[in-house]
Amino acid sequence: MRKVAWGIAVVTLLATGAGFADQCAKDDMEATATRLKENGAIVAFRTYPRVIAIGKPFSIEVIACVDGEKRMAPSRIRIDAAMPMHGHGMNYLPSERKLGPGHSAFDGLVFHMPGNWQYTFDVYDGDKRRRLTQKVTIGR
Amino acid sequence: MRRQKFRYGIGRLLLIAGAATMLLGASPGTVPFTDDETALILTHGPWPVRTAPDPSNRVSGVKQAIAFGRKLFENPALSVDRARSCATCHDADRTFTDGKPRGIGVSAVDRNTIALHNMRLNRWYGWDGKSDSLWAQSIAPILDTRELGMTPDAVKARIAATPALADGYWHVFGNAVAGHDAETALVNVAKALAAYQETIVSGRSTFDLFRDALAAGGPAGIAAYPDTAKRGLKLFVGRGRCDRCHFGPNFTNGEFHDIGLPHFPAPGRVDKGRYGGIKLLRASRYNLLGQFNDDSTRATAGFTRHVRLTPKNWGEFRVPSLRNVSKTAPYMHDGGKATLEIVVRHYSDIPEDRLHQDSEKLLKPLNLTDGEIADLVAFLRTL
Repeated sequence: MRKVAWGIAVVTLLATGAGFADQCAKDDMEATATRLKENGAIVAFRTYPRVIAIGKPFSIEVIACVDGEKRMAPSRIRIDAAMPMHGHGMNYLPSERKLGPGHSAFDGLVFHMPGNWQYTFDVYDGDKRRRLTQKVTIGR
Repeated sequence: MRRQKFRYGIGRLLLIAGAATMLLGASPGTVPFTDDETALILTHGPWPVRTAPDPSNRVSGVKQAIAFGRKLFENPALSVDRARSCATCHDADRTFTDGKPRGIGVSAVDRNTIALHNMRLNRWYGWDGKSDSLWAQSIAPILDTRELGMTPDAVKARIAATPALADGYWHVFGNAVAGHDAETALVNVAKALAAYQETIVSGRSTFDLFRDALAAGGPAGIAAYPDTAKRGLKLFVGRGRCDRCHFGPNFTNGEFHDIGLPHFPAPGRVDKGRYGGIKLLRASRYNLLGQFNDDSTRATAGFTRHVRLTPKNWGEFRVPSLRNVSKTAPYMHDGGKATLEIVVRHYSDIPEDRLHQDSEKLLKPLNLTDGEIADLVAFLRTL
């Protein structure tokens, strides 16, 4: 089953990625995406599959902008996730597939325990890092 | 009179309705469960879990391979001194383990022998998860000088020299073993061993009967489950928080945690646990990223590709399934806990100062009473 999950996540992402990716300057992301704006950056993201199952791999598609007078694609995006109350992160390191400027897909995320997780999106403008976070609860 | 009769009738109806509610409700008896507890309990089933053949092993689920794998499993030809087989330590009469604190092959090893039930449900194999498939894990004891002590050349020669095994190999792999190089022969033998081990599935337990009765609202099945086990189950999904790691039908998240156990199997020797396991996994020719994975898409290799090595992995060991746990003593990776009661007491008094600074913060001493410890043990005995 886990192999199927990996396959579905990757195929779905490839098939639908282009529609989600418009341009960094455009802030009307699709309705299925979660949108964050803080610390001078904007991030829109959605997961594949949409409902994350505990212990199963999933992918995240991210569009990020460095916010300002003129919105720009960041030089780099990095994502991770952790359980703040548990004091640990994921046991897996996501790998990135660049889909365009400021637009990437990250594969290989796994939430291995139920409870409250928190995504971390690091959006880089050169050496300057802007961090955005989003909480997510994983049930059984 | 008529009015009195009517009242009497209503009263009887209410009594019957009340009794029916008691019987059909989710938790009759002296140990009721809340809706939240019931929902958590139901996630531990149904059992057994349906599984598919392993795509990384082309003979997984193949009848002839399963039969050949069983012959290999029980045959001492696969040990350097012809004195032991896989079944020597993984004894079917002992729930496929050996009852000893630590395994003894050609010589003693540092870890407890893992019972082999429900292996197909695993993501990682071994206490340190150094293998990402059951067939890769099956190679490890064959080559380990402390266990069966063989080499690929010796495996090939022994198969060729043992008519029943040579015949089985030919039937499963469509070629005489002599026609394969030694490493291919070794991997094929391991894949047949895995095909057999995948068929070792634990039966339905007392807990499964209770869980299914709870799901169906079957009062007799719910009532039949002992009250002490019910109290232990409430602790398991409640204050004990045991189910944060031991969750799902197989009672494990399949991952790794440091629970404050010793890291030294002997003076001067360190067991690195998951830290060492990930290093061995990455260095292995037999991991799922390698040439011996029969899944050409490599979709099976996702966990291996993404697994993360960090200092916190030091001293972590795999969270074991709790199915059949009452039959697999002694416990923990080092066999250091002789009984279930000692295991539960470990969590009751867990030594926080021994936990890694990056380890699971949920692990706090539970400070259980003797009665609560007995209840948890009673629950574990029903799995």
